[in-house]
Amino acid sequence: MATLKMQNVTKQFGRNVIAVRDFNLEVKEQEFLVLLGPSGCGKTTAMRMVAGLEEVTTGKIFIGDRDVTDLPPRKRNVSMIFQNYAVWPHMTVYDNIAFALKLKNLPAEEIDRKVKEAAGLAKIEMLLDRLPAQLSGGQQQRVAVSRAIAVNPDIFLMDEPLSNLDAKLRVSMRTELKAIHEKAGSTTVFVTHDQSEAMSMADRIVIMKDGEVIQVGSPDDVYHRSRSIFVADFIGTPPTNFMEVDVRKEGEGIHLVNSHLNLLLEPALAKHLNTYSKDKIILGVRPENMLLVSEDEAALSASCLVSEPQGSHQVVAIQLDDSIIKVIAPASPTILPGTAVHMSFKQETLRFFDPDTTLAIND
Amino acid sequence: MTAASPAKRFRDLGSKAVPYLLILPVVVYYFLFWLRPVLKTLIDSFRTAAGGFTFQNYIMVFTDPNFMPALRNTAIIVVFSVSLEFIAALFLALLINRKFFGSSLFLFVAMIPMALPAVAVGAMWLTGLTAHGWMNSLLYYLNIIAESHKIYWLTGSEWKLLALIIVVDAWQVIPSVMIILLAGLQNIPEETIEAGYVFGGDYLTVLRKITVPLLGPTIQTAVILRLISAIQIWLIIVLLVGFSRMPVLVERIVYYHEEVPGLDISFQMASGYTIIVSLIVSTAALLYLRASGAFGSKKEAAR
Repeated sequence: MATLKMQNVTKQFGRNVIAVRDFNLEVKEQEFLVLLGPSGCGKTTAMRMVAGLEEVTTGKIFIGDRDVTDLPPRKRNVSMIFQNYAVWPHMTVYDNIAFALKLKNLPAEEIDRKVKEAAGLAKIEMLLDRLPAQLSGGQQQRVAVSRAIAVNPDIFLMDEPLSNLDAKLRVSMRTELKAIHEKAGSTTVFVTHDQSEAMSMADRIVIMKDGEVIQVGSPDDVYHRSRSIFVADFIGTPPTNFMEVDVRKEGEGIHLVNSHLNLLLEPALAKHLNTYSKDKIILGVRPENMLLVSEDEAALSASCLVSEPQGSHQVVAIQLDDSIIKVIAPASPTILPGTAVHMSFKQETLRFFDPDTTLAIND
Repeated sequence: MTAASPAKRFRDLGSKAVPYLLILPVVVYYFLFWLRPVLKTLIDSFRTAAGGFTFQNYIMVFTDPNFMPALRNTAIIVVFSVSLEFIAALFLALLINRKFFGSSLFLFVAMIPMALPAVAVGAMWLTGLTAHGWMNSLLYYLNIIAESHKIYWLTGSEWKLLALIIVVDAWQVIPSVMIILLAGLQNIPEETIEAGYVFGGDYLTVLRKITVPLLGPTIQTAVILRLISAIQIWLIIVLLVGFSRMPVLVERIVYYHEEVPGLDISFQMASGYTIIVSLIVSTAALLYLRASGAFGSKKEAAR
């Protein structure tokens, strides 16, 4: 196990496509780090540069103290789980797992021991004689996991390893991968575009967009303290609700006002806007931080568009002019379309964003 | 179910017949233009000039002083040209598959020989290989040979001619083998190859342990096609050196059919050669498929 450090790494394709721009990252020993972002954000390219499958245009990559920037993949001591499993169809499960060990010229007994150990961790000991074509997608994924564990790598790379599994299996494999990570204690970089996957697995999340890092932080950090509208919108299902509001200073207090809303900010929050010079902000509020209240306590009232029952709770969609906001409400009573909904906010959770820079104001 | 009315039964019969009616034209075609000539050739090979039954044609074929040389030459050409073409084509396919700058132009250029008909290839190389042909001109121009040291390509030992023929044939055939292998390479998921590099393989290891095994079925197709057409080689040889100087099996068929019609059983002897060549081709193809594991392979069946 080792640390991973990427220093000012840039990757350029052709003359004018910059896939990754000035990327800096340090992954701690045994950390589970997730690169998260929409497709085309450069997260996979960043990982492929760590693996050595993609050359670095400028910058340096270190694994532990070793500068691996110019080393071929086989000399980096990393292992990788690919999106399409990439198990070799002409080899048995055993040979797939043993491939790298054989190339290291280890004694046969040691190979045998390591293969069985890795297969045990991923629970495929009974499949060792099979060919991949005889396995289900989930089982092939386990072969890929075993193969990656068996080499005892410095860095574990996972490129959207769960995205080809069906929804239910994906969630249970999440738990297992995480458990395997705990047991093996491997430094892991995991790429995904699925924010709930990232939230549930990561020690730290790196959110990327257009080849650049937007925010790095623990799942709680990026969820509750999103640094920009992009992050607040990308993380969470349903995502953060946004409302454009005017900032009105009346006497001591600060009011946030639009055609539906008139909210007097508590002093703890108002102080964030004291030095703010523009007269508009984007207000961000998470769906679970809006409370259904009686009419006279309401900061915001509107009518329900539809309600989506989720069993444990319901998601109420509310039409505000031309945007829809979503509120998480207790499962009962069911809120019917067309009924009036009165809401207030958990003020301490509100996020203020600058409409021009889209960055958060209250950090 | 009650008994169907006659009209309905007729309709049912009609709908059952439709698939057979649809394939009927193909069946007729195959019968007329494939099965009938095959049978006729088979029968002719056992006929005398007058039309009676005989083994004389086969005895003539086997005692033809050119039969053994033809068999030997064909065998040599098959072994060397198939290996040479396969290796060169695999190399080219791997190169083009790397998608370097200009690789599609390179692919286009490499494909040109495939577009030329064999007769044109023969004519082109013949003009090149005569004493005053463009090969010598080129070598002279490049200062590789002196004017007084022209190379007489088309004279000399049989071995030299064989080598020359193998090279010329390879020149024409490599593109078609390459294109088959290239298609196969492009069907291998990139991640499968990349996994080979990540898990400790260098280029040659990955090629040997992953790329080539995964290319197996494609290699089988390419080699079997080449094997068959190498056994059937003749036109390029006749164009370059003429009949009977470098006898090969199929050349004998054409030779007896086209060159010695004065002999009253030349057609029957050509038929005999045809049958022998067919048997050799089928046997070789079968042996190759058996050896390459195309039969009863669990791997393939499981796919």
